[in-house]
Amino acid sequence: MSDSAVLQPGLQQPGWQVDRFIVSTALVGLALLGGLIWLETAPFMVALFVIGTLLGMALYHGAFGFTAGWRNLVVKKRGAGMRAQLLLFGLSSLIMVPMLHSGQAGLVGAVAPVGTSLVFGSFIFGLGMQLGGGCGSGTLFTVGAGNIRMVVTLVFFIAGAVLGSIHLPWWLDQPGFDPVPLVNSFGVSGAILVQFVGLGLVAWWVNRIERKAHGTIERDELLWKGQSHGVLRTLLSGRWPFTWAILILAAGNALTLAIGGAPWSITFAFNVWGAKALEVVGVNMSQFEFWTWDYPAMALKDSVLTNIPSVMNFGLLLGAMLAAGLANRFNEASRNRPEGRQFLAAVVGGLLLGYGARLGFGCNIGALFSGIASASLHAWVWFACAFAGSLIGIRLRPWFRLPN
Amino acid sequence: MERAYSRTRILAAFGIILVLILVDHLNSPTFAFNSGQGNVQTALSQRDETACAPCGAPCPSTRN
Repeated sequence: MSDSAVLQPGLQQPGWQVDRFIVSTALVGLALLGGLIWLETAPFMVALFVIGTLLGMALYHGAFGFTAGWRNLVVKKRGAGMRAQLLLFGLSSLIMVPMLHSGQAGLVGAVAPVGTSLVFGSFIFGLGMQLGGGCGSGTLFTVGAGNIRMVVTLVFFIAGAVLGSIHLPWWLDQPGFDPVPLVNSFGVSGAILVQFVGLGLVAWWVNRIERKAHGTIERDELLWKGQSHGVLRTLLSGRWPFTWAILILAAGNALTLAIGGAPWSITFAFNVWGAKALEVVGVNMSQFEFWTWDYPAMALKDSVLTNIPSVMNFGLLLGAMLAAGLANRFNEASRNRPEGRQFLAAVVGGLLLGYGARLGFGCNIGALFSGIASASLHAWVWFACAFAGSLIGIRLRPWFRLPN
Repeated sequence: MERAYSRTRILAAFGIILVLILVDHLNSPTFAFNSGQGNVQTALSQRDETACAPCGAPCPSTRN
């Protein structure tokens, strides 16, 4: 029997069903966790929790997956998903680079060293994306939407991240150099301009591939209106046009910077969760150099409710769950039970994602999106290397019985 | 349409996650601080602005 019910009068539209149980559970979870954060931490953490929730809804309703966007370009030669990402990076760069250099104290960009660690980490992250079935944000929002295979990916993502944290000091000792903020060389306007040129060149390359394969370019990334329903219903139950997701994601990252002091990041929380779990079973994490550095050491010692990436991830998971409930599609991806090799892909992919994210200083959000929004060279290196790794991952997918 | 999940499992997963978060929080410096204990360093007001990466990694140039 269906567990769904027609919406209450006022929101009711023909044929629109929501999963009441999932929506109620997500709302109760948001209220409980939001209340706890409010009582025990500070109001700005509640604001970040709410932003995380909205970002989770935007990722789910916008179907804003970096992994599928890259794969669509390579396999189907369709570039709308990729161009949507480029638009997002451009818009965020325009907003956040001036914010970071406005002179306001306490704002730190997502900059990171460029070297062996970054190249190797982002390459295996890209490979892991295609096997695991998502990047950092993709894994989280699909887990929130009830995808069982992605739960496996997340568990091994966390395991890989902890392993990466243990090895990171060795990788940092390999050839590399300090962060390169483009603003130092080009100034604020120049850095934005240089990045626009870079994004434009990638867009030109994407368009060339699509035009060569299909003769024309589908401009799905520029659609403003939902294709089948009214605005309110589309807003609540999806699917959002890319433009809505782009605006919410760009605004969300800018607000995260303004409120939390640093751009949006996801995977550091996985390190903290994994390290805390190991400490529970008796492992002394402070024997590893990474966990003696100030920020990781403090994050490990204190509550996850004081850790910004953790709090935003909790919001993201619940936001995606709420969105999936409103769309009546919770757990839909798990209706067909994954077979053995697909689970193996989740295990291998998860480990590569976690290890790669730590060595590469983040995922598609923390390293790529926030890195470009901070005009850091490392984000561009990350982009190129992760895309190269993704190409290999796409070739390996059929062996794992994953559709391309 | 048949339901694709077990409500009990969803609630159990929720309960476990919430309990883990609570246990972690009750053993944290922030909870100790909120309970009136002084001299505890909490992560809430701490940000390492001298780090070279968002994860707190130092700069390659500072490593010997």
